Formats: sequence, structure tokens, C-alpha cells
Amino acid sequence: MHDNMMLEIEGLSVGYRQPKGEVPALRDVSFSVPRGGTCALIGPSGCGKSTLLYVLSGLLKQFGGQVMVEGAPVAPLRRQTALILQDYGLLPWKKVSDNVALGLEIRGVAKDEQTERIRRVLTEVGLWEMRDRFPSQLSGGQRQRTGIARALALEPDLLLMDEPFSSLDALTREHLQGLLLDIWNSKRITVLLVTHSIEEAIFLGQKIVVLSGHPGQVIDVVENPRVGQKGYRKTTEYHILTSQLRDKLEQVGDGS
Amino acid sequence: MRERLYVNTFWAGVSIVLLLVAWHLLALLLNKEALPGPLPSFAAFFRELPGELWGHFWISGYRVATSLLISLVLAVPCGMIMGREEKVDRLAAPMIYVIYPVPKIVFLPVLMALLGLGDVSKIALITLVVFFQILVPIRDASRSINPAVVNSIRSLGAGRWHLYKHVVWPAVLPEMLTALRIASGTAIAILFISETISSQEGLGYFLLDAWSRYSYHDMFAGIIALSLLGFVIYMALDGLERYLCPWKFV
Ligand SMILES: Nc1ncnc2c1ncn2[C@@H]1O[C@H](COP(=O)(O)OP(=O)(O)OP(=O)(O)O)[C@@H](O)[C@H]1O
Ligand SMILES: [Mg+2]
Repeated sequence: MHDNMMLEIEGLSVGYRQPKGEVPALRDVSFSVPRGGTCALIGPSGCGKSTLLYVLSGLLKQFGGQVMVEGAPVAPLRRQTALILQDYGLLPWKKVSDNVALGLEIRGVAKDEQTERIRRVLTEVGLWEMRDRFPSQLSGGQRQRTGIARALALEPDLLLMDEPFSSLDALTREHLQGLLLDIWNSKRITVLLVTHSIEEAIFLGQKIVVLSGHPGQVIDVVENPRVGQKGYRKTTEYHILTSQLRDKLEQVGDGS
Repeated sequence: MRERLYVNTFWAGVSIVLLLVAWHLLALLLNKEALPGPLPSFAAFFRELPGELWGHFWISGYRVATSLLISLVLAVPCGMIMGREEKVDRLAAPMIYVIYPVPKIVFLPVLMALLGLGDVSKIALITLVVFFQILVPIRDASRSINPAVVNSIRSLGAGRWHLYKHVVWPAVLPEMLTALRIASGTAIAILFISETISSQEGLGYFLLDAWSRYSYHDMFAGIIALSLLGFVIYMALDGLERYLCPWKFV
């Protein structure tokens, strides 16, 4: 029955060691994401959302509980997992195309294949014309698209994103949310997205996991099956869900 | 781009002319034999250049350039590793901080006894000084690389080698060039001192010799040659930065 689960998290606890003792960041977190599904993770600042992504990407190895990716314990640097961090992903000294190629080069993909894939993903995110620019010559939205392209170049089946659109203006953000949905619709990559925005969580997350702060605990998991349907933002369901979620988050209190 | 080059060259010219005018006025004002103005100094410079001076300029340039190169090859990898590998740093950092503040010129007698009076001891001394001036900033730059950058590259599957190649090395490059600029000034100062002590070659010797002959014009010809040496190194570093750090010039 677990065969169709991409992510299964059971009783996950994480603490950071500090001079004054261990600071708990996550406590007894459990939820799962089906293969090809999307999940949005929302909660107050400092509740451990980024920490959770570090665990899932295999970068953070000290944790309690069980974390399964595709039925196997989370392995460091699983090849089909791609992680996109908020602002820092791009290397300022590499051109757009070299930034996108980086994951492929590190994984030893042949040069011909690299060129081919770079062309494909850069065209997909609409940045082929910008391939010879440096990140400092791009707008915030274009930079974030480059980050997405770099992740897509790895041909992942699991995409982890840490507040990918939070620093963008409203129009660009909606455009990129649309782009992400298109990509998800065509490839059915499993997407786990951390966000601060209630609207974004509802627009993109088939499942919305609400965390409380200090240490992060799951207080609710909301099913949101209409994600990806045309004009979802304009439906009454969307608005009802928005106000319900806002109520929940107000109970938790935004810790920021 | 091209236009900017012209504008830069124009202002560089203005700046040097102003400096020469100030020198000229100061020389007129003081009216001392020990401070000749720019005109007789440059006359001496161009008179001496085809003869002796060129050879001294060349050998001094060779000594400084070799020292900078050796220091670079030694200090950059050491600094990058110390900045990233905590265990290495814990062992090496105390040594560095004990040796760093000692004025290295005190080792000149030791170096001369060990390596002779020729090029090698001078190059070794300059290298000793410049090594630390490059090592310390490189180590700090390598240490302060944003952990988020490191994590995002590690999530792509990067191991140690990739991290050094794609992140640490490019991240310390600008710091390296800044350190080199500062170090080149120190290097010339150390070169000068080492060439004034039991030496028959180099600009330091030329200057000291001119001084002992009370030939102030020749002395200032030597000073012009020294500043020219610094200027050439500076230009070379500028070119190197354009070549190595293209992302900084967009
Ligand atoms: N390297 C670290 N060392 C010690 N404590 C840490 C470290 N990283 C995070 N923490 C702590 O763990 C908790 C969770 O941090 P995390 O970055 O996961 O929060 P977050 O939910 O992503 O916050 P935000 O929404 O502001 O990005 C915080 O209280 C934070 O102070
Ligand atoms: Mg975070």
C-alpha cells in the first residue's frame, strides 16, 4: 500500500546542538506525500521548515524517526532529488548556462548530453536567450527560473523548494507559480514546497501541512485536491480554504 | 566599453601630470640639491635606462614577480584548505599567528647564510613576507563563504573536490587579487632593503650606489624606475582580474 508514496515521514525529530544544549527544531513530525503529488509546508518563521528540507535532501543526517524516500531510507545525495534554496543557489561567477550545467557536471553527465539538456530546460523556463549572462545581470524572477532550470536539468522525480518565490513581486510570483504548475502537470514530479504565503500554499499544494512553532509540530494536514485546475484562484472553494487556513495560522501565531 | 577605457586613460594621465606638477613645485620651493625636480630626474632616467638601469630594473622585476608567483602558489591552496577544514585550521592557525607579526626582514641574515647572497635568498625573503599577507585574507575569505551556497552545491552531489573547484576557488579569487595588490607594495619595499645589503644588482643597489656618489639625479632616476615597477605589477594585476573574474565587470 505504500508503493505509491514518494515521501513517508514518521516521528521525525531534529535538534540543533548549541553551546547551551540541544535546541529542538522539529518534534514528532509525520506526514506523507504520494508519488506525483504536491505538498505545501506552511508555518511560522523558525518552526523548522528549512530544517525539514535539509533532512529530506540528505544534507542533514542527524535526526530521530524514520524518513523514507521512494520506500527507502533517505540517502545522502539521492540522484533524483533536487533542492532549490531561496536566494543562494546560483554561483555569481558562473554564467546562466554554466550554473544550470553544474549539477550535471558534478554528476559526470557527458558533455553532449549536458548541452542538450541545458538547451531543453532553459527553453522550458524561457531563459535560453539569457544563457550567457551572469546572475547579477538577471532580475529576481529570472534568477529563480535559473534555479528551477538547474533542478530540472537533473531530471528529478522529487523537487524540494524552500520559499522559492517569496522575494518576488506579486506578478512575477504568480507567473512562476503558473510555470511550476505547468512543469508539474507535464512531468508529474513530486513537489514539496515550503512557503510563508497562504495563497501560494493553496494554489500549489494538494496537501497542505501546517506546522506550529518551537519546536515544529504538525497541527493539521489539509487536503486540497483541486490544485492545478483551471481558474482555481477564482473559485469560492479557494477563498473559503484561504480564510480557514488563515484562522489556523493565527491560532499558531506567527513567531517572526 | 571602449569609451570607458579612453575616459579612464584620460583621468590616469591627468592624475600623473598633477603629481609631476606638485613634485616640480615642491622641488622649486625647497631648492635643495637632494630633491631634484622631475625634469632633471627624467632626463637622468632616460639617459641611464639604455645602459645600466635597464638591467637593474629587469633583475628587480624578476625577483619581485618570482616571489609573488611562488607565494601565490603556496599560500592560496593553504589558505583555502585552512578556511574550510576545521581540523587543519586548529593545528595551523596558532603557528601562523605566532609567525605573522614577526618582521620577516630579521630572517635576512639567516637566509643569506643558508641560501647565499644571490637571487635565491632575496626571493625567499620576499616570499616569506608575501606568503602570510596572502594566506591570512584567503583563509578568512574561504571561511566566510555563505553556508547556504555550500549546501545548495552539496545538494547537487558535490564532494570536496567539486566544492573547491566550483565554490571555494572562485570565491577567494577577488580576495586573492586584493591581497596581491597590497602585497606587491610590501614586496617592493622588502626587495629594496634586501638589495641594499651586500648586493651588486637591482634597483636597490642602483639607488644606494647613486646616493653614495651624491648623484641625486641618478637616485631619482632609480626612484622613477621603482615606481614604474610597482605600476607595471599593478597593471598586470588589473589585467589578471579582468581575465579571472569576468563576472565582476558586467
Ligand atoms: N545551524 C543551526 N544551528 C542552530 N540552530 C539552528 C540552525 N539552523 C536553524 N536553527 C534553529 O532551528 C529552528 C528552525 O530553523 P529553520 O531554518 O528550519 O526554520 P524555518 O521554518 O525555515 O524558518 P523561516 O521561515 O524563517 O525560514 C530555528 O529556531 C533556528 O533558530
Ligand atoms: Mg527557512
